[in-house]
Amino acid sequence: MTQLVLGQVLNGAIIGAMYGIIALGITLTFGITGIVNFALGEFMMIGAYATYALAERGGLSYPVAVVPACLIAAAAGYLSNKAFFRFTRNNLVNGLLVSIGLISIFESASMLLWTATPVEMHFVLPGALRVGDIGLPKMKLVVFAVIVIVIVMTYLGLARTWLGRAAFAYAQNPEAAMLMGVHTPRLETAVMLYSTGLAGLGGALYASLYSLEPAMGGVYVLKGMEAAILGGIGSLMGSLWGGVILGVIEGVGSIFLPTAFRDAYGLAVLVAILLFRPSGLFGDE
Amino acid sequence: MTGQALLWGVLYALPIFVRGDFLLTIFIFTFIYAILAVTFDLIFGFTGQLSMFHPAVFGVSAYMTYLLATIYKLPFWVATLPSAAAAVVLAMIVGSICFKFRLKTFYFAVVTLAFSEMIRLFVMNWNSVTNGTLGLVVAAKPTIYWPGSGIVPIKGPIAWYYLTLVCLTLTVLICARCLRSWMGRCFGAIRLNEDLARTLGINVFRYKLLSFAVGNALASFAGGLYGYYTGYIDPGYLGINQSMEVLAMVLLGGQGTLIGPIVGSLVLTGLPHAIDLRAEIRAILYGAILIFTILVMPRGIVGTLNAWRAKRGA
Amino acid sequence: MALEVRGLTKRFAGLVAVADVSFLVQPGEIVGIIGPNGSGKTTLLSMMAGLLPPTSGTVVWKDLPIQDLRPDIIAGLGVVKTFQNPQVFTELSVFDNVRVASHLALKRALGLRRGLEIIGAARGVEGRLAARVGEVLALCNLGGAADQLAGNLSYGEEKMLGIAMALMCEPELLLLDEPASGLGRDEIRNLEAVLDKVHRAGTTLCLVDHKIGFLRGLAHRVIALNYGQKIAEGSPEQVLNEPAVIEAYLGAGHARA
Repeated sequence: MTQLVLGQVLNGAIIGAMYGIIALGITLTFGITGIVNFALGEFMMIGAYATYALAERGGLSYPVAVVPACLIAAAAGYLSNKAFFRFTRNNLVNGLLVSIGLISIFESASMLLWTATPVEMHFVLPGALRVGDIGLPKMKLVVFAVIVIVIVMTYLGLARTWLGRAAFAYAQNPEAAMLMGVHTPRLETAVMLYSTGLAGLGGALYASLYSLEPAMGGVYVLKGMEAAILGGIGSLMGSLWGGVILGVIEGVGSIFLPTAFRDAYGLAVLVAILLFRPSGLFGDE
Repeated sequence: MTGQALLWGVLYALPIFVRGDFLLTIFIFTFIYAILAVTFDLIFGFTGQLSMFHPAVFGVSAYMTYLLATIYKLPFWVATLPSAAAAVVLAMIVGSICFKFRLKTFYFAVVTLAFSEMIRLFVMNWNSVTNGTLGLVVAAKPTIYWPGSGIVPIKGPIAWYYLTLVCLTLTVLICARCLRSWMGRCFGAIRLNEDLARTLGINVFRYKLLSFAVGNALASFAGGLYGYYTGYIDPGYLGINQSMEVLAMVLLGGQGTLIGPIVGSLVLTGLPHAIDLRAEIRAILYGAILIFTILVMPRGIVGTLNAWRAKRGA
Repeated sequence: MALEVRGLTKRFAGLVAVADVSFLVQPGEIVGIIGPNGSGKTTLLSMMAGLLPPTSGTVVWKDLPIQDLRPDIIAGLGVVKTFQNPQVFTELSVFDNVRVASHLALKRALGLRRGLEIIGAARGVEGRLAARVGEVLALCNLGGAADQLAGNLSYGEEKMLGIAMALMCEPELLLLDEPASGLGRDEIRNLEAVLDKVHRAGTTLCLVDHKIGFLRGLAHRVIALNYGQKIAEGSPEQVLNEPAVIEAYLGAGHARA
């Protein structure tokens, strides 16, 4: 039994890390630019399919394919921001609607290109590590490690560097930041590029483990949103913790109650957090 | 006002001039969705609460209406009433929790979404009653009581057209009556400045809850209609898509108006079908219309028209 | 005795804004609260209206402790407060602003039967309330601006609208937070005239302001605060000549002089 729980915890943590990278994108974007990018899942989808295309169809090896895939996702993010998102700053409803529109467009475009039939990549890194009685696929561990490293580096990068401080100054008071010499439109673009690039990376990693379909973005953005809220919007490390906690709750919960309700556990915890501690587990009061 | 009268006149007179079944079908779907959109606007555009709970009552009432009619051999229109009551109960529970904790816009949306999703999962997995993801097939025709003729079944596009149109008209009338009264003033005050409303003696919790309950109760009728019309009920009714569609209709047509959501429904339901293209292209067009509207016409079609007319009159 | 403040204290994480203040307000009185900036006047008034929970102490209105009640309930009991920075519904017209404020009046007139209004069955009461809105606007000299958007009003007019809305709630005790601040001389005279009319009609007034001249002419009794504590109470002349009060406003040098 303990093996089962442990296995679910570990698996949940890995899936949770993926929620976390989307959560990071959401929290970064909203925290710094005040824009709600509910379409972040679509950039994950773009990264995933781009990786698939480059690796399976284009003949590149997986690690080499990941980088351009992220860049493609980031480019899509740049365009979306330039054309649409930057007009929705601090306007939740508008941001939501633009996101809905983009989701519709990207998902349908993906359907046209790839059809609804799920596609899969060949095994990237076969083999598993044995921890006690549990077998953990090596690729999953790699994915987990990469995500954690990226999130931690993002956190350190923002906490320790001038750019990071500038970003938070901008978040608090855009005019003051501008007067202090922070090039605000560039900052906004940078945040968008980075967050969508991250999502693309998440997608690329996802592609190495699971099969892809055009609608995948929708599920992940919801989970990412849940994770971001759980961890506390505005808290960078919180998004990782939020994701992992969500993943673990879902994994462990499905042992005791029907798997079909997997999503419900996370939702119930989310509601509880929002009612009793809206700033999330790691956010400021 | 005359614009409104014209619109209703055209809608009621339409089947006289238009006979194509396809076209009438589009309008039928438009009217059903418009009921959802108008009632959503009551909560969102008028009271300022972004609710993502509509899919829950849409789906639950679809299932309930059909199941009650089938299991207890009730006529359609009788079965819609307990479904509406169920919608009220759900709304009261969820609303009380949300409003008691004074959730702000974004978090209110998230919590109502979470509850809606939980109900969807519940419905999806209660296989014995709802048949899970396989859904239920509705073979029966709805019936209404027509004075003089007794129980009349609704068959054929024209009958459906008028049934759904009348339901929409009633929904709008009820909402209009509420909004024109002291209740509407309270809703507006809450939307504009909740704290000020409180100092003027308005029990903000009570009126938010009232708006939420009324909106969801009226929306539930759309569920029964949709289920019987399409002949198929599945958990997709409770999906987030419905929330997105309704939000889009209201924003496109004009939030804070009663006609706006109807116009929005006409455009978003009708236009894609009027354009004979692949489903994916239609979806892309749909997304483009949404983005265009929100960036260029944030007040929506009706809102922009009203503002334009006001400026001309002044 | 209409309102009693007993030992009211408010602490904000180390800062004591109001320290153990007690006083009475008799029905029909006009009580003024003065004090330099930061003396706790606004905090005190907010606690009296239920907008801020006190750290300790009670506010008793008609023998009922009200300090922990919701603002809308307190308004329903007859205690209504205006704001220093006028709070109005900027997107509504002046008339509609006051109309919204008629909610309490409607409740009192019809009670639960106000449901009838929805089906159009309460025309009489509705009409009377609409007329009353006009009266209140006329009283506040805002009649001409009835159709204007509240957001387009001048600062002084907005403040007057805030008072009109408070009056529409039919208060027995009207709490005014710095009603004269930011107003020009003519506007202050207008304000004095309006408050005089309101007082004559039977409403008890309790105002906070730091314009001494304004309060001196209006108030029957004055309470002086400094650093959250009550330092003097009495007729305007008595209080304004108290050394402690002069010191609070102008510094120790002037008090000795």
